[in-house]
Amino acid sequence: MRTKYNIKWYGLFSAILLVAAGLWSATATAQDTIKVGIITDRVGNSAAWAKPIEAGLELALSEINGAGGVLGKKIELVYESDQSKPDVSATKARKLIDAGVVAILSITNSPSTQQAQTVTMNAKMVHMTPANSAGYLTTKLKNPYFFQMGPLGSTQIRTLMAYNKKNNFKRVALVKDNSGLGTYLGKIFRQSLEAGGTKVVAEQTIEIGSTDAIPQMQKVRAAKPDAIYHSGIVVSAMATFFKAYHQLGLKQPVLGSFNLSIPKYLEVIPGMMEGVAFIDAYDPDKAQSKAFAAAYKKKHGKTPFSLPAYGYDGLKVLVSAIKRAGSTNNEKLRSAMAATKGYVGVLGAKGQSVNFTKNRAGFSVDGAVVRIIKKNTHGPVVHSGTKN
Amino acid sequence: MSRVWLSWLLGIVAIVALSLILEGYVGNLYRKLLLTVALCLSFNYLFGISGQLAFSHIAFYGIGAYGVVILTYKVGLPLPLAIIGAVISCGLLSFIVAVPATRLKGFYLALATLAFAQLFNVLLLQGGDITGGPEGISGFSAKGYFGVPSSGGAYTVVIAGILIFTFAILLLLDRSWFGRACRAIRDNEAAAEAMGVNIFRTKVAAFVVTSTLSGIAGISYAFADNYINPTVFTLEPLFLLLFMIIVGGTGRHAGAILGAVVLFLAPEMLEAWIGRHYLLGFGVVMVLVILFLPSGLIGLVDRFQDRLAAHGDRQ
Amino acid sequence: MEDFLELMVSVCEAGSIYGLVALAYQIVLRPTGIINFAAGEWAAIGAFAAVSFITWWKLPLIIGLPMCILAVGLVGWLTEVIAVQPLLKRDAPELSPVLSLLGMLIIYRETVSSVYGVDNLFVPMPFGFGRVELGSIAGTSQSFFIIITVVFSFTLVWLFFERTMWGKAFQAVAINRVAAALLGINLRLVTAMSFAIGGAVAGLAGVLLAPITSVHFLMGLPLAVKGFTALVIGGVGRVEGALLGGLLLAFVEKVTIRYAPIPSGLALGAPFLLLILFLLLRPSGLLRARGEQ
Repeated sequence: MRTKYNIKWYGLFSAILLVAAGLWSATATAQDTIKVGIITDRVGNSAAWAKPIEAGLELALSEINGAGGVLGKKIELVYESDQSKPDVSATKARKLIDAGVVAILSITNSPSTQQAQTVTMNAKMVHMTPANSAGYLTTKLKNPYFFQMGPLGSTQIRTLMAYNKKNNFKRVALVKDNSGLGTYLGKIFRQSLEAGGTKVVAEQTIEIGSTDAIPQMQKVRAAKPDAIYHSGIVVSAMATFFKAYHQLGLKQPVLGSFNLSIPKYLEVIPGMMEGVAFIDAYDPDKAQSKAFAAAYKKKHGKTPFSLPAYGYDGLKVLVSAIKRAGSTNNEKLRSAMAATKGYVGVLGAKGQSVNFTKNRAGFSVDGAVVRIIKKNTHGPVVHSGTKN
Repeated sequence: MSRVWLSWLLGIVAIVALSLILEGYVGNLYRKLLLTVALCLSFNYLFGISGQLAFSHIAFYGIGAYGVVILTYKVGLPLPLAIIGAVISCGLLSFIVAVPATRLKGFYLALATLAFAQLFNVLLLQGGDITGGPEGISGFSAKGYFGVPSSGGAYTVVIAGILIFTFAILLLLDRSWFGRACRAIRDNEAAAEAMGVNIFRTKVAAFVVTSTLSGIAGISYAFADNYINPTVFTLEPLFLLLFMIIVGGTGRHAGAILGAVVLFLAPEMLEAWIGRHYLLGFGVVMVLVILFLPSGLIGLVDRFQDRLAAHGDRQ
Repeated sequence: MEDFLELMVSVCEAGSIYGLVALAYQIVLRPTGIINFAAGEWAAIGAFAAVSFITWWKLPLIIGLPMCILAVGLVGWLTEVIAVQPLLKRDAPELSPVLSLLGMLIIYRETVSSVYGVDNLFVPMPFGFGRVELGSIAGTSQSFFIIITVVFSFTLVWLFFERTMWGKAFQAVAINRVAAALLGINLRLVTAMSFAIGGAVAGLAGVLLAPITSVHFLMGLPLAVKGFTALVIGGVGRVEGALLGGLLLAFVEKVTIRYAPIPSGLALGAPFLLLILFLLLRPSGLLRARGEQ
């Protein structure tokens, strides 16, 4: 019978393939660069967001290496793509660790970062996410090696609420989409709104792939809210939201998450977002932002916004920690990261800084700003922080 | 000792040895590979041998994973009971799905099970505190049970054990009258019925057994990274499973194993050249295989073996 | 009441799109027995074609729209030649073409994302964006454009099948392939044409949808699922069934979200429940083909 040979063969075959895969992926450990691993997405759901973040990383890289690198060596970025799949992200994290990186930056979605974290935690490798906003990344796993620089969902909603304090909205509607991040942010928004005494009179979910959001927005209209908070993140669902908003003649102010800081929306639904207020981590009037924007334009030929800034600051913070640690040893690097305080980068409101000494989620609670869309562009900062 | 037993023993020893030797990235890959092979074997039995194209396989993988974690950490059952509970849940749910669904033929069964899988996903996302919603469930581990830490080579042996268990069950079923009945139904339902096969019971049994095996693999997945999240249990991985068994050779266990190994490792190894386009490659290979190589890669291997044997005979 | 009428316009708009996709399935399914799950990707290709012709080349709609439809029709025809014809020729098992079309689904999606990138792309609304009110019925200009175009297309297709020789040939092949061949009908041509016309119809759905939701390489799969659900509901036997199925699906979907007292996240499961119900209770759909009782 043929089958019995095949079991042996495949065992052998797989072993050979696996060893080959292992050898193949083991890059020669050249001692003349410091490797930083980047888990990105080139093909899946987060690809559109990871690309600009990579552009920011590349700008930071060229500046750091142009100034001679750190500890006498140049930085090398090693990219792995996780397709926004959490289990693949964990495997890629392991691959990067084996490839000899000193730290890993995750720039895809929060669940992927979380699953990758289970691997980096065991390996005691410094792991950072520059842009993820999920609060559970630093609370669910007691991992002292993990740091988060993105504005937490709770920070975002509290900033929006502070901005609205003078308006005293008592009843609001909450609209989200059925993506992972959209649903999660919706939950956080609701918790904070209710904790602040605001009543959520309607909560609606727009399905990704739906052709319009009329029934959801009709329900919102019927509830007569004072304002509409939107925590969704998927472009097509957002497009249907704004179309329904206008079609149904809604006039309530719309307040969005940090997702609306992405200029793609202005291209795809032009003219429909006038007056919409959104959270940003990027203030283009800050001195650091101006310098960053000039350098970015020179290198990439485009105007930057929040996403490249996350990548830029992320790498710079990591490198500053390497410098302070004086070595790439895991423990020393971790201590240096955890001691980061008062780092003023491109991100964050004026006067705010990154601080990991109190909380591994280092984006300042008062670091988010509110901007308004005017004449189909992102207007200047009108409010910052959680105090009024 | 007969040759069959000897080669089984050698195979098991090889798989277990690799589990203990390989570590780091390759070890992580190996672990995921073992799970993929287990899933392919059971999916192949369902589709290739019983002729039921069902899109619910990954959903049961998820029911197993979420089941054991919820029962242990939300309900508070001890791990062994939670595992049994999760297995029973898979069995029951797959039975409930199978009874009405197996009446449907061809792609209609696929669509009904796809709807079930999508509903499962909606429930996961909306499950709030029970399923963790979009955050998933993290921060747990199976440490302390059975004295086996849930990371590292020792746990890989556990997964390898599940793979061997899955393979053994499927092989036993396949070689019995049950396997013959499944194939008979797949090839010609009317003729099978005329020969006295109870179509309904056989189909339901095949569905329940394979889905439960998928759930058992899911239980072991939960502790592989100690994190479960709805995004892992969507439609995409199922398409990949389908590709694997078609490219490997539908209906043949060896084909399922070969397809899983090749299509799982190919993107890792070819990443330097084709990078993100590996998915396109999969689609092309799948279409080419269906058009020109209907018996799959295993068909090629068979022909190669035949030629070797013929060559040997001549001498 | 006004709300309800406005909702009905949205139902008609969404139902028309679903109906078009269902029709694309049906046109291929009836003469060949093949379920083409790549129909959603055909719609996506139509949307990307609109990006090229209408957004980038700035062609006026009157030229751009037919060009998009032709483009996807061509893709449909090529699909048949590459992925289906060789299987039919060698009498492959029934499920083989379905599986090879699943492979084509991935090929389409990845090719499109390689060529157009991973970002969302913009297609302008042909008649601008504005609220249009006809008495107490209200919608946007695009809503009415979609409804009118789809009704027109369905009428065309219906006339084709019921009143032309070619259409009759299609029906004959659908009823009995062997008999049709014996009557001298060119099976090869009918199969190729069914894929081409199916492609054109699906492409139209994509072009109509593009200005509303923007164009993204992952937009095909949800449409494929919705379209198939509409087909199951409406019945495979008649052209009108596809539109009816689409409208009923949209109706259940939107009325559940609007009026059902359950969290809106759960309401998104309604279409799947509906699909399961129909598959179990009435798999032949609402409308039976002529000649069946």
